[in-house]
Amino acid sequence: MTGSTLIILAVFAAGFIGLAVWDIVRSKKKIQKYRLRSAATAYLMLLPAVLLAFLFILLPILYSLGYAFTDYYLLTPNDINFIGFDNFASVFKEIGEKGTLYHAIINTLIFVVGVVPLQIGMALGLALFTNRKVRGVKIFKVCFFAPVVISLSVTSFLWLQILSPSETGLLNSFLGLFGAEPHDWLRDPKTAMLCIIILSAWQGCGFQMLIFTSGLANIRNDLYEAAALDGANAWQKFRTVTWPGLRSTFVYIIITVFIGACRIMTQPMLMTGYQDHTVTLSYYMYTQGYSYRWVGYSSAVALIMTIVIGTITLIQRRAFREK
Amino acid sequence: MRNKTFTVDGREVALNSRMTGKRITKEVIYYLCGIVLSLLFLFPIIYMLATSTKSESAYAAGAGSLAMFLPDFAHLGTMFDNYGSVLTNYGIWKYALNSFLYAVIVIVLNVLINGLAGYVMAKMNFPGKRLFSALIIFLIIVPVETSIIPLYSIVKIMLGLKQTASILGIILPASISIFNIFLFMQFFQSIPKEYEEAARMDGASTLGIFFKVILPLSKPIVATVAVFCFIGVWNDYLWPSMILPQASEGEWPLMPIQAALTTIQSMEGITTGEIMASLVITSIPIFVIYVAAQKYIVQGFGSAGLKM
Repeated sequence: MTGSTLIILAVFAAGFIGLAVWDIVRSKKKIQKYRLRSAATAYLMLLPAVLLAFLFILLPILYSLGYAFTDYYLLTPNDINFIGFDNFASVFKEIGEKGTLYHAIINTLIFVVGVVPLQIGMALGLALFTNRKVRGVKIFKVCFFAPVVISLSVTSFLWLQILSPSETGLLNSFLGLFGAEPHDWLRDPKTAMLCIIILSAWQGCGFQMLIFTSGLANIRNDLYEAAALDGANAWQKFRTVTWPGLRSTFVYIIITVFIGACRIMTQPMLMTGYQDHTVTLSYYMYTQGYSYRWVGYSSAVALIMTIVIGTITLIQRRAFREK
Repeated sequence: MRNKTFTVDGREVALNSRMTGKRITKEVIYYLCGIVLSLLFLFPIIYMLATSTKSESAYAAGAGSLAMFLPDFAHLGTMFDNYGSVLTNYGIWKYALNSFLYAVIVIVLNVLINGLAGYVMAKMNFPGKRLFSALIIFLIIVPVETSIIPLYSIVKIMLGLKQTASILGIILPASISIFNIFLFMQFFQSIPKEYEEAARMDGASTLGIFFKVILPLSKPIVATVAVFCFIGVWNDYLWPSMILPQASEGEWPLMPIQAALTTIQSMEGITTGEIMASLVITSIPIFVIYVAAQKYIVQGFGSAGLKM
């Protein structure tokens, strides 16, 4: 472990020194020159950030790449062996046998497919709704934004009470008025993911609403006036002015919401625990790596997930950018 | 698209007043929709606040009626009993204090460390700068998937299993943020050179310039970073619950408030009202921050758009 840290550090340092020397050599040919004193001050001021970033950002990323090919067990950090692609073989075996990982993939897919359009649609609707200069609109915005302020764990515990299986739970007691039997929403595989999708969209969409609002504010008003002169109706104005004007905002939002949705974990973790019908990919990786301590295997799942999400993000960027 | 008013022609006035009538109905519908939507978004929060004032029996009695969204009017005197018991019996104030302390330390370190780095990247020239610029851009653009477990193993090996050392495991990783370096860098680039040159004429050192000239000029960005640090540390749940040990009997706990919620939830004999009170207490500081620092938060969102 320390050995590999030193190797990474050496590679990093060598790259840096190489670049620095190259810079100095090049600067000698030009008029611009580096002053030793100011360069030394710069390095000193950068040092704390570089140190922390190396330890807590760069190293974990590189390690999770490396661990994927080892049998690292959390409790035996001095006994790590390279095992090639064995972890990946186990991953595909687990998927093939329809184990927990298979459910985690399906649940994450369900969540992403459900929450991305729902949350973005709600956010866009609310942004358009509050995009008027009338009295009281600010209060509406505050109301729509309020759930964002609540942390994910508070949200989970709050909805745990709302969806409580007892007949005094909020949802059950109101459905009881119509004669419905108390239902265990989070333990029923048919409703659990749906509940998590809805509460996540409820919690998050205020944030994207604000971003859409600032995107709407950037659309020039004379475009709307021109459209009005041409006799465009509300839908036509939306299609020809608002939508093109929101394109870059939309790309940003769809990518961030997508990545965030792929990482869902807190809600199922706090609301249902490690269950086949709600386990998600991040939750699976966390449980394998932290609770069961199979860091190597968990890192292999993480690596596959990074590649898949990275590819989809790239495709999204391409698909929405060009045109 | 305001209605134009013509007062000369009688017919047009009539048309106009009909238009205003239509407009009023439209406005009423708009506000009705707004109120319904607001209630849809607020009802869980109203429910949380209302339940936090109730005893278990009052809660059960109100089930299935609108009383679930109203405080317990019959026992207004004991409204805050749940808060009292959560604060004293379950000692939630200790966890809240922990969260505050962690947040304050992280804010100071975060501004210092990332501010200095941002300043160097924005204003100074040195050999090898390109490596750091490239790293910053790379780390911002690439969505890195859950490196939390390698991070955990690094921190554990670095700090050992000592209790007090694990506080460093909370503070140090939170004190570095590539995105904040980027934010500082962007902001510092917009500060004209003349300020620094004047200070340098007066014989100030580079560090002196950073603290006496640059930071005072950068209050908005410092505030934005501070606010987001606070929210980040206060709302963090997973990492503290991984890295910090559970407190044993009679010891001061190290857990911050979000991680402590899990423990409090699972305590024996806790009532729904007490759970809700603990959730409200956990949420209040963030509400206050959002109200007080609205301006900086919106700025932060604006700059979040740069993250592309």
